[in-house]
Amino acid sequence: MEVLDYSKELSVIEGRPALREIDEIISKPLNTKPDKKYFIALLVTLSMVGIGAISLGLSFYYGTGLWGNNNPVGWGLPIVNFVFWVGIGHAGTLISAILFLLRQKWRNGIARFAEGMTIFAVMTAGIFPLIHVGRPWLAGYLFPYPNQHSIWVNFTSPLLWDVFAVSTYFTVSFIFWFVGLIPDFATLRDQTTNKIKKVIYSVTSLGWRHSNRHWQHYEMVYLILAGFATPLVLSVHTIVSFDFAVSIMPGWHTTIFPPYFVAGAVFSGFAMVQNVLIFIRKIFNYEHIITLDTLEKMNKVILFTSMLVGYAYGMEFFIAWYSGVQVEQFTFINRAFGPYSWAYWIMVSCNVLFPQLFWIKKIRRTIPFMFVIAVLVNVGMWFERFVITVTSLSRDYLPSSWAYYKPTLVDAGILIGSFGFFFTFILLFTKTMPVVSIAEVKAVAEGSQPSHGEH
Amino acid sequence: MSLPNEQIEYSRKDLSPKVRQIGLLLFALGLIIAVAAYLTEPIRASFMNLVLLMFLLSVGLGSLFFVALEYLAGAVWSTPYRRIIEIFAATLFVLPIVALPVYFNIHDLFHWTHLDGVSKDIALSSKSGYLNVPFFTVRIIAFFLVWILFYSLLTRNSRKQDAIKDQLLTKKNIKISAVFMPFFALTVTFSAIDWMMSLEPHWFSTIFGVYYFSGTVLAALSVATVAIILLNKNGYLVKGIISDHYYSLGALLFAFINFWAYIAFSQFLLIWYANLPEETFWFLSRWENGWMFFTIGLAFVHFLVPYFGLLSQPSKMNPNRLLFMSVWILVAHFYDLYWLIMPTFSKGEFVFGWMEIGFILLGFGILVLIFVVFSKNKNLVPVGDPKLKRGIDFRL
Amino acid sequence: MKDKILFGYTGLFDTPDSIINAAKKASEEGYKKFDINTPYPVHGMNKAMKLPPSKLGYASLVFGLSGTISALLFMYWTSVLDYPIVIGGKPFFALPAFVPIMFEVTVLSAAIATVLTMIIVYFKFPNISHPLHDTDYMRKVSSDKYGICIQADDELFDESKVQLFLKELNAQSIAPVYFDDEETENKPSAFDKKFIALLAVVAIIVSGSTYILLNKVVYSVPFNWMMNQNKISPQQSNAFFSDGFGMRNPVEETISRGNLPYQFKNKPEEAGLLLANPLAFTEENINLGRNKFDIYCSPCHGYFGNGDSRLRGQFPNPPSLHSEKVRNWKDGNIFHVITEGQNIMPSYSSQLTRQERWAVVLYIRALQRAQNAKESDIQ
Repeated sequence: MEVLDYSKELSVIEGRPALREIDEIISKPLNTKPDKKYFIALLVTLSMVGIGAISLGLSFYYGTGLWGNNNPVGWGLPIVNFVFWVGIGHAGTLISAILFLLRQKWRNGIARFAEGMTIFAVMTAGIFPLIHVGRPWLAGYLFPYPNQHSIWVNFTSPLLWDVFAVSTYFTVSFIFWFVGLIPDFATLRDQTTNKIKKVIYSVTSLGWRHSNRHWQHYEMVYLILAGFATPLVLSVHTIVSFDFAVSIMPGWHTTIFPPYFVAGAVFSGFAMVQNVLIFIRKIFNYEHIITLDTLEKMNKVILFTSMLVGYAYGMEFFIAWYSGVQVEQFTFINRAFGPYSWAYWIMVSCNVLFPQLFWIKKIRRTIPFMFVIAVLVNVGMWFERFVITVTSLSRDYLPSSWAYYKPTLVDAGILIGSFGFFFTFILLFTKTMPVVSIAEVKAVAEGSQPSHGEH
Repeated sequence: MSLPNEQIEYSRKDLSPKVRQIGLLLFALGLIIAVAAYLTEPIRASFMNLVLLMFLLSVGLGSLFFVALEYLAGAVWSTPYRRIIEIFAATLFVLPIVALPVYFNIHDLFHWTHLDGVSKDIALSSKSGYLNVPFFTVRIIAFFLVWILFYSLLTRNSRKQDAIKDQLLTKKNIKISAVFMPFFALTVTFSAIDWMMSLEPHWFSTIFGVYYFSGTVLAALSVATVAIILLNKNGYLVKGIISDHYYSLGALLFAFINFWAYIAFSQFLLIWYANLPEETFWFLSRWENGWMFFTIGLAFVHFLVPYFGLLSQPSKMNPNRLLFMSVWILVAHFYDLYWLIMPTFSKGEFVFGWMEIGFILLGFGILVLIFVVFSKNKNLVPVGDPKLKRGIDFRL
Repeated sequence: MKDKILFGYTGLFDTPDSIINAAKKASEEGYKKFDINTPYPVHGMNKAMKLPPSKLGYASLVFGLSGTISALLFMYWTSVLDYPIVIGGKPFFALPAFVPIMFEVTVLSAAIATVLTMIIVYFKFPNISHPLHDTDYMRKVSSDKYGICIQADDELFDESKVQLFLKELNAQSIAPVYFDDEETENKPSAFDKKFIALLAVVAIIVSGSTYILLNKVVYSVPFNWMMNQNKISPQQSNAFFSDGFGMRNPVEETISRGNLPYQFKNKPEEAGLLLANPLAFTEENINLGRNKFDIYCSPCHGYFGNGDSRLRGQFPNPPSLHSEKVRNWKDGNIFHVITEGQNIMPSYSSQLTRQERWAVVLYIRALQRAQNAKESDIQ
């Protein structure tokens, strides 16, 4: 059996790069002109955005009747997609805040990118509640301002909590991300020879001069923000779960929803981050910064959260039976064996069964395997939201009102558009900002901290 | 492959006999009151006995969870005092003894054991496949065996490492811990359902296992923190445990205080909001007839006070303040269990008296004695652990 | 050329150990205004520089708690005081349901306030210019060197001593840093023509696009604000019905809910005989009647029923309500007139409910009584 040496801390950065090399390698994508492949990728994502835009335009012009939503399934794909994308956003804050509080140094290489993904995912998610109300240009009514109706928003509605949660989440994630970027902008400012870039970086770095008198407060702010972001990230998906769970819909009203949704969000978010990072480290040659060890650790988190999600599935089923409530029991049997059983079994196999392969070390450390499993996880998590939203609604209390929900082409177009929207931002991000935190990576490079006994 | 921890300054000292005396005193006092309680009000006493059982289960199982968690997460800051947590995991051994009186009074506690009542009740007879005495017995015995199995596997390897300093044992324990985790999740959930949720057999809540889990973690962590601070003050532990280590313990306590509040509030909000009679009655019996203040007090005792008590950095680094907060949280866990269990007994009115205090004393006495017995002839520091040096050198 | 103003002396180091050592020595020497510049936070540096712990935690505590409290008070005010609505059978002050928003506002205000405090108080934003910017020293410490800078305004500063001090620490490239001439002499450029022109252009673009957006774009398709709907509006024609009207009459012999037909149509005498005022002479009823009278009757009849119209001849003045005839009318007669109209007075049955009409009758009686009191009233 091969044994690691537990008495030594493993460096999270491979190969002892000099600090200057770290600067160079991270800022390289910003200083080179994008190549053909980049433009092809951008073309693909932009055409996906185009498909989404056309679908949305049609929806606004002709109305939401173009979607598959029917009566009783009033919440179709828009809500499914909303929950899916908010979930994707959760991994970023988890990596940047919770792993920071847990002092997991391997996060430093991937935190910036994951935070970026959070912001883009939340932006993508934000589209859906807006379009789902049918008249997005009236969305201002969601905010409690003294308006011409002299009436206030309903503070007891989970949908309003969503407005607060998602906008707070976006703002705080953005601040967190920007605070992390300040020292890096300063480093770029001091390196660049381009005048325009120099102006931009000078403004965005807020006069940063790497002073330790600033670092001290900066680290404090980072700690405080991480401390706030951690309960915040829990609260966001918790509130999303409240959208469902405060109702009395069988299959929705169950008390485990809050932690279950959070675990699921982290699960899918990690899978998405892992997917994208596999490309990033390959394309930009970050293999020694985003190491195989880091990916393995992410896979362990995916395995762990997969079991949490599995626990919640099992618990829901057990308590539905245990409760003795007929409608509850029917809902779960209907999920597993009713008209949407195909979706249910896709969900179970992708979320619970396939990730169990990560028990095997070889699979955890083989890139094609882990890539495929993470893609399946995201498919599974999308179907989880589909199953929750659609099965409960399509067969509610009143059998006479049951109906089968089928998404239309326009629904599919909007979903494609959301992926295009998200990946367009990712592509732009990789070429405009350092996707790996320069200062944080330097701080965990070998030999970058004073030797022991000095403090 | 072995690496000696040469620079470790640790020499084993036997515990002062005072500790044993304190333990015996608490235990004796508690036991006398408990016996007196059984003689005067047997039903109320067996309910309190159940509270005690769940309290000890929290400490034992939570400690075992922490040992496994340290291996899995590769944490180093907790390695210097992992042995103390291992010793408290031995609380699992006394569970059968504490459970026996409860088991013998099972008919007084659990309505679902009355077969004539169950057969008239559709809701109850539909779940009698799960809630019946034979299956219940099989479950609690099976759970106990699982815990003892993992306890002995993990601690045996850890103790063996003291002598032979083999890194392979760490690796083995990591694997055992990984296997333990799913078992832990299931056993802690179903223990909570069997012993506490089924007291009100009509009531159900999917989050209940997670709720109890958050409590077990807090109980185990606060017991360990109390022991670590006291032992370190009196020089029983390795040199070099400083405020940074305390800070980490305090931060973890703080995190789980928040986690508990999150879970508790989620459960309450969803049931309050949906307002379904088959769920709300559980909260109503904790609100009416004098229970209201106790329930409101739970939010203060179990969340607000420890939250503000542990919020600032100095409060986590100062051993005295941390000690106070850990004891507070330990008592708060008792409070929480009391809140979970006792309303089934005293729906009509809120009761608290000498009996309850006796069982609390008994619980603390058992914990002290467990530590005294299981720490005998043992290193209080895992001297052979390869992560020990790193753990001592740990800085924020 | 003027002498440059000295800002301080800088020295560079290669390893984190040596910069920690330098920081320790500098603070031991008693220097107060010195700074360490490192490309990333070096562990233990705060201790070496003897910096007091950061107080930013207090800012987030204060702003966070004020966020919690203001959210709670605001929700209390809107949902309990300003516009209470029962929602889902929950109490107006539904504390559990307020918790999520209280939490979010806490986090939002604490996060924003903490970062702003740091940027404004410690980074001195927006005054962020600094002599160290754009120096060789800065370029090195932002990449891979560790630097120390001892400022000239320190009490112990002495050029040769500091140089010696840095040399003893084995610092490399010891160099003085001066204030930037351009910055010390620069005049504010707020009144520069180019700048003002830029402001003007930005103002025109912003206001123009805002105008177009708010007045044109949001009223174009598909943003129709529900104003154009696929339905027949009142008074529109409709070819579907044979009479061509869009508006329909109720089916004959039907009555709408809550509306009994008036049974004394065209029978004023019978109304006077058979109808009696069901309302009692209470303050509440009188007030209702007065309110309705002032709104519907007084424009023509005047506030006191004297027939002194406020319509200035646009409509013929009605006769006084204090005439013998009206005073001797039964209540039912007055009610009939309000309900059916008389001469050019239209019916008020659609504006006033039955109860309101009777209340108006009561009020008219009170007015009449006030102007032509009986003798018995005086006592």
